[in-house]
Amino acid sequence: MKGRNTGWIRLLLTITLIIGMSSYANAGGKVYKVGLSLAITGPTSDAGNPYAKGVEDYFRFVNDTKLLGEDTIDCTIKDDQYQTDVTKRNFEDFLDQGIVFYLNYSTGSTLALKKDFDEVQIPVLPASFHAGNVEDSKYIFLPIASYSEQAVSLAEYVVKNHKGDKPKAAMFIHPSAFGRGPVSDVEKAVAAGLAMEIVEVVEHGNDLDNTAMLQRLMSKGVQYVICQTIQSPVATMLKDASRLSIIAKTFGENGKITFLGAHYTGGNDLIDLAGNAAENFLWTTSYTITSEPGPGTDAQLELAKKYGRDEKAANSHNYANGIMVAQVTTEVIRRAKEKGLEISRKTLYDELNAMNGDNSYQPPTTVGPVTYSLTDRAGVDSLQIYSVQQGKFRKIGEPITSEYMKKIK
Amino acid sequence: MAANRWLATGNFFITYKEEQRTFLTSLDRLIFSIFLSALFIWPIFFSLSRPYMLVINNILIAVIAVLGLNLVTGFAGLISIGHAAFVGVGAYTVASFSRVLGDSHFLITHMWPLLILAGGTAGAITGAIVGLPSLRLKHLYLAIATLSFQMIFEWVIKFMTFFNQGQTISVGRVTWFTGDIGRNDHYTFWYYVALVLIVLLGFGIRNLFKTRYGRALVAVRDNDRAADAMGMHPGFTKVYAFALSGFFAGVAGAVHAFLYKGAGIESFTLHHSITYLAMAIVGGLGTINGSFWGPAAIEILNLQVEKFSEYAANYLPSAMNLATALRPFTFGLVIVLFLMFEPRGIANWWRIVKSYTKTWPFRY
Repeated sequence: MKGRNTGWIRLLLTITLIIGMSSYANAGGKVYKVGLSLAITGPTSDAGNPYAKGVEDYFRFVNDTKLLGEDTIDCTIKDDQYQTDVTKRNFEDFLDQGIVFYLNYSTGSTLALKKDFDEVQIPVLPASFHAGNVEDSKYIFLPIASYSEQAVSLAEYVVKNHKGDKPKAAMFIHPSAFGRGPVSDVEKAVAAGLAMEIVEVVEHGNDLDNTAMLQRLMSKGVQYVICQTIQSPVATMLKDASRLSIIAKTFGENGKITFLGAHYTGGNDLIDLAGNAAENFLWTTSYTITSEPGPGTDAQLELAKKYGRDEKAANSHNYANGIMVAQVTTEVIRRAKEKGLEISRKTLYDELNAMNGDNSYQPPTTVGPVTYSLTDRAGVDSLQIYSVQQGKFRKIGEPITSEYMKKIK
Repeated sequence: MAANRWLATGNFFITYKEEQRTFLTSLDRLIFSIFLSALFIWPIFFSLSRPYMLVINNILIAVIAVLGLNLVTGFAGLISIGHAAFVGVGAYTVASFSRVLGDSHFLITHMWPLLILAGGTAGAITGAIVGLPSLRLKHLYLAIATLSFQMIFEWVIKFMTFFNQGQTISVGRVTWFTGDIGRNDHYTFWYYVALVLIVLLGFGIRNLFKTRYGRALVAVRDNDRAADAMGMHPGFTKVYAFALSGFFAGVAGAVHAFLYKGAGIESFTLHHSITYLAMAIVGGLGTINGSFWGPAAIEILNLQVEKFSEYAANYLPSAMNLATALRPFTFGLVIVLFLMFEPRGIANWWRIVKSYTKTWPFRY
């Protein structure tokens, strides 16, 4: 009987010791809480899903490789199903958990929560590059050039490379603020002297056929269509254009249409959806992509391999997108730590604003450095133009920056 | 009436007035008073996290909206598939003031009860206009007419620059006698506002059915020709049912705009209209207490499915597709199961529980 009692006491002591040791092991480092709310399921989850994986993997990498020493980043990722009401609930939950940095996703929810971000004074990196996000807001930082800048850059590219009279273009946009945002900026650029004629702005619905629209554009002499939407409507349009044999085989081919698009129109998903019709589609983004290998994409693929991601996620530009925002978050924490500052919303906000000049940050997955200041709210200002050649996006020239955006701001 | 007003085991009415009592027994009144007091008191003693307060507030707002939907669909028998649009009218009424005057204007911050009333009035006017086709249309055709209103509403909001093309129009924080309602008190404050509104509107409906106007709704639903022969005006009754329903929806929308500090089209889509209808069906059409059960059941179900989807996403190989499908699937399944096995909704379970306790320990 006595022996049995001693056994129980030993067992209890062992358990207590193990618990004690494990808490001691964690006591060495601090935990910085970060929150991400995005559409892992529901509308736009094709982009949100790899984005979430990118964020998750990079923070795991930071913790596993002790990039912040003994300190770790605890990023809670919550699915909001692309619903602003749910995003708001998630954000409140994150605040209760004591986050010091917030990663958001959609344009709608970023605009809806703008006031909340200002009230709680938390730095925010959304996946939306809508220029309106940063209007009247101190705490929202765009990861890369805004949709407006992307569309104006594409327009500038058209003007620069078009042969003949003033090019006629149309815009094919998503029926929301996400799609409409850049229209007025492109029009302003035209008013400021960009030699282009915007013939029509088409807001697509859930159309399964764009034949009539494409023929109308052809009859108006449109040679370029600049898209600001998501991949699926672009793929539908490209397939219809291919069937009508109106896709330009070379840039600006006479009597044909050259299609161009901003960040969320392109990527491997577009090629999967549109097939051969995606050939010669021109796409711009600030990210390096795996079909053009380099140190950044190698690191991206290695990270995906390390955490067992499939090929589709590993090669997605939205995976790179997720990695990049996690990298920026980690970098500001690292910088604040290096200065011996306490990690708080304020110090991280200050670090983001100081990320310019010699302090700019070059993530491996972007085509230019990330720069922020009190007046500059777009991270990577450079944009790379890619074109689909034989089923893969290929780089065209060197990264560009918009001239007219500076004029119209 | 029974001699013992606390433990009446049957219906012993000898006058219509007795039958129309709000509470049939003193025990009913006592239980209701305790329950209501508990609803008012618990936030003082328990501090719930903000996300859960937001969920509770969502339920309360949905209760107001579903009370309105129950009036038009449950009591008056007129199917409305555009109820979220009426809620949206209320929200955008507040948002319009905010857009024109600025989100921190005195009218927004101090006169917000008037704006809630204005939201309700705008909902009522819109309801009356949308209700006009009910003079000529019935059943499925009327449902399509209300669906059209939903479509028109969404189109107008999404395309008019005045409404920010559907993106959120900001609404400022409000002020109470105790001062500005800050971030920490925001959800508790709107909990109380919504609760007071529910009590007022709930008793309002209960009392409405003691009047000829309330009874006219049920009479027109059961047989409009008979109601006409009895001296009621079916046309007026239908239009006024829509107006009344629109008022409730407008009030819910206005509170929603203040709670979320803004109005955006995403909260007032067809999906939300279907959700309100599902809440009314699950709760129990044509019952007042069903308007409380339905929103609570659907919101809690949503929350649980959301958690289950997250859990499933971690373990199942095709998890994302499954999780995407799970929510609408569960939602649809619940409605179908209720329609098949309990068309009278949760309110009927409540009725069974009440009748059982009334006759306890006897079974009949």
